[in-house]
Amino acid sequence: MTAVVRTVNLVKIYQDGAVPVPAVRGVDLQVEPGEFVAIMGPSGSGKSTLVHMLGGLDARTSGEIWLDGKRADTLSESAWALLRRKKIGFVFQFFNLVANMTVGDNVELPALLAGASPKVARNRRESLLAALNLTDRADAAPAQLSGGEQQRVALARALANEPALLLADEPTGNLDSRNTRDVLRLLGDVHKKGQTIVMVTHDARVAALADRVVSLFDGEIVDDGRITRRRTRTAGEVIDLR
Amino acid sequence: MAGSRWIKADLRARKGPAALTVLAVAGIVAALITAVTLLEDGTNPWRTLFAQTDGAHVWLYTKDGPPASLGGIDGVAEIAGPYRSAPVTVAHDGRRDPAALRAMPATPAKVAHPVVSEGGWLDPAQPDGVVVERSFAAALDLRVGAPFTIIALSGERHTLYVRGIADSADQGFYPEWTPGLAYVLPVMLDRIEPIRGRSEWVTGLRLDDPEASQVVSQRAFVLLEDDLQRAYTWREVREAMELDNRLLGTLLALFGVVGLVAAALALANAAGGRVLGQLRDLATLKSMGFTKGQVALLLLVEHGALGLLGVALGAAAGWGVMAALLGPTSVAPTPVLALVGGTALVVLAAVGLPAWRGGRTPPIPAAPAAPPRGHLSRLARLALLVRLPPALVLGTRDAFTRRVPAFLTAFGLAVPMMMITIGLGVWATLDNFKSHPEQVGQAAALYVRPGKLQPAAARRLAEGDQDVAAVYPGTDVNALAPGEARSVRVRAIGGSALPYPFPVVAGRLYARQGEAVAGQGLLDLLGARIGDRVRLTVGGTPLIVRIVGRTVEPDQDGEVLSVGLDTLAAKDSVPPEYYALSLKPGADPSEVRGRLLAGSAESLDVQVAVNPADRLSVIRVVIVALIAVLALIGLANLLTASALGLRDHALDLAVLKAMGLTPRQVMATLVTGTGLLVVLGVGAGTAAGMSVVTGLIDLQGHTSGVGAGIGRPPAPLTLTVAVVVAVGTALAVALIPARRAARAQVPVTSR
Repeated sequence: MTAVVRTVNLVKIYQDGAVPVPAVRGVDLQVEPGEFVAIMGPSGSGKSTLVHMLGGLDARTSGEIWLDGKRADTLSESAWALLRRKKIGFVFQFFNLVANMTVGDNVELPALLAGASPKVARNRRESLLAALNLTDRADAAPAQLSGGEQQRVALARALANEPALLLADEPTGNLDSRNTRDVLRLLGDVHKKGQTIVMVTHDARVAALADRVVSLFDGEIVDDGRITRRRTRTAGEVIDLR
Repeated sequence: MAGSRWIKADLRARKGPAALTVLAVAGIVAALITAVTLLEDGTNPWRTLFAQTDGAHVWLYTKDGPPASLGGIDGVAEIAGPYRSAPVTVAHDGRRDPAALRAMPATPAKVAHPVVSEGGWLDPAQPDGVVVERSFAAALDLRVGAPFTIIALSGERHTLYVRGIADSADQGFYPEWTPGLAYVLPVMLDRIEPIRGRSEWVTGLRLDDPEASQVVSQRAFVLLEDDLQRAYTWREVREAMELDNRLLGTLLALFGVVGLVAAALALANAAGGRVLGQLRDLATLKSMGFTKGQVALLLLVEHGALGLLGVALGAAAGWGVMAALLGPTSVAPTPVLALVGGTALVVLAAVGLPAWRGGRTPPIPAAPAAPPRGHLSRLARLALLVRLPPALVLGTRDAFTRRVPAFLTAFGLAVPMMMITIGLGVWATLDNFKSHPEQVGQAAALYVRPGKLQPAAARRLAEGDQDVAAVYPGTDVNALAPGEARSVRVRAIGGSALPYPFPVVAGRLYARQGEAVAGQGLLDLLGARIGDRVRLTVGGTPLIVRIVGRTVEPDQDGEVLSVGLDTLAAKDSVPPEYYALSLKPGADPSEVRGRLLAGSAESLDVQVAVNPADRLSVIRVVIVALIAVLALIGLANLLTASALGLRDHALDLAVLKAMGLTPRQVMATLVTGTGLLVVLGVGAGTAAGMSVVTGLIDLQGHTSGVGAGIGRPPAPLTLTVAVVVAVGTALAVALIPARRAARAQVPVTSR
């Protein structure tokens, strides 16, 4: 089976004036289909940079990125954009909903972008919002929603095109505990349906939800451990973790 | 699809600013169209007149009735006339004006029919009726029903009555174009001038293609040979009617271009500001899979559509207003279409840059904006040295931390200010025309024609007046230039012994027989340069002169050759046609005129010289209007800039307040930040305007035939007032948002 993501000696060096600042220093990572990987590490360990590179938001300095068995690091910015449309969903710490568009439009946008007809996009949005229990907020502006609701909308938007890979950058970093719980439950749900997820977090309790925790320190993988599951998780057990 | 959804949402979210952008562009376009049309109508009445009168393109004056074969020339569609025309003198109100009395039938002709604007057309029932061309009637102050006394060449006096006043495109306006034109019935003309040899025949040719007029008139030259007295085409008529249209045209083109640049700046500022405010959303779009090109296209479509909507609205409004005010034919389509096309392109270009920049937004949404790098330490040290209040120091720092917006703000003010300076320079040049007429070739304030007196007696009378400084005898003749299908003016005035004080700007004044000075227009027409010999024909006699200098020549588009009276053949120069009187400083021309008229018992004909500035007064209206538009554009730029500045500083404001600055100090900080840029922009604009204004006006003078050497920079006082007003207004405008921001509760939020 082809790995969803595979990186080979991935390096990212920021140039701050004349001083090179390495953020990611030779990361080899492989994510299998259906896996839920949490990337942990302290601030500045390069975890966000790594995820951004996996989604093509940031260009790598050297090394290789393979998505679905195809080399992606050599792609142009536009080709990355096309790839993101179909294969990658993003969830960010600050939700990043388009402020001017309604919740419904925010969710429809990726489907429309990928070329779905308005009708198909609308159907998909309705099923997604229903699944996330947001149907009645479809016409609200993002600013009218609570943080947890906004993150749920962002999740719906990320999943709109059924991407092969969901990248989440501190999805709960800006949420209170109740909303964190809701969002994590949702992530767990989509994972159970077979969604491959790579999630960045610095919160061990959040990371515990994943199948596998990769620890980053100073841009290098210092630990890559699979969490053995005694039994299939239920959503309720997330609460136990807190 | 996805893009249109985004655009719709964005426009919905900011209806107000979007409407403002549309209105601003519409206002600029409407103002430009209005200005162009008003100018075109005011300065080039020929187009309308020609259309109204179904005018003729070529006019031929012949000794005898022209052969019918004229109609056989290729391209001639219709023939007007031939009409018999006799030279007469109109005596009215103590002045004598040359006129051509043209015999026309009572039934209007098909082409070149005068359009009666007051009264009625000639009527066989009233054979003593005369219809006077409008500019001639205006110059003579004639009304319908007034007596019209004419003196025929035989010296016989006839009194006719003005039946009507009519517009005509047959010739230029009086007094720029002489003789004046009046129409009588053929029977009346036969009575006034029974001798055929003293009259000539006028024939107008209407062509299928106006561009063919040169060719057709050449053919007529060949066909008519010696019979042809003179000929002119619609171009000369149009040029004569145009009030220095080339000068105005260049001026307007310049103003138009800069108006467009300023509009582009306003639009680029507005779109750029919007894009800056949307960087986060744009990054989100990119993380969702929008490509660079898609984002750029999105922005281009959104802001471009607003701009184009503004252009369309402005064009419709400008067109509508002009059509309502001046009639539907008043709007010349070509300049308006050029204007609309030009603005549309400018709009797209102006929006293109921010769109491209928006497209280049990095797709990492959370990426914090690079912290602006201030030069606080250096400036602060300087400020501490001179013990400036902290608000000033912080404001100064604000002004320059973001260099590109700072530059755009200053530039956005500098461009309109530069144009305003140039406009004021044009104004000053006009004032200089008025206060120093001798510098534009009008040393003489009065022109005396002997009239009934002997020329020598007239001269004695003129020289005897206490206020007359010098008397220059002169004669104007028409000369045919080789290879030109038209005549040029030769002005013989003064003499080698007493040369007329022409303002010579290149070369030198004529000093002996056979030397001449010329206006720029004539040099251009003949392709001659100073030092060249030219050969002209004056009434069959060759006139060979060497051009030794160039003068500032406001008459006849500069197509005038000036010589001493002794250079002209005696048959043309003795006796002189008129005496040009230059007055002592401070003398009032009309007083002197009154004395001369009284002294000669009204038998002298004394005319006050027409200052070119009087004819150019329409420029002043244009200057005022354009300054208003430019000021508005400058303010629009400033508003965008200060709004952007506030957005950038929202966080800093909170910090400043936390640090303990009072609202007043916060306000002062913001105003200082904007005000410095305002002062910079206004100063730079004024300096740039000052450095180019004289050269620019001289360039325009060159193209208009008047010639370089007329440009004057604006007076220091005017300029100071303009700068103070500009800076003051700008500061007042900057004060409003600053006040609001200083009072508002600014939350400390993460970006």
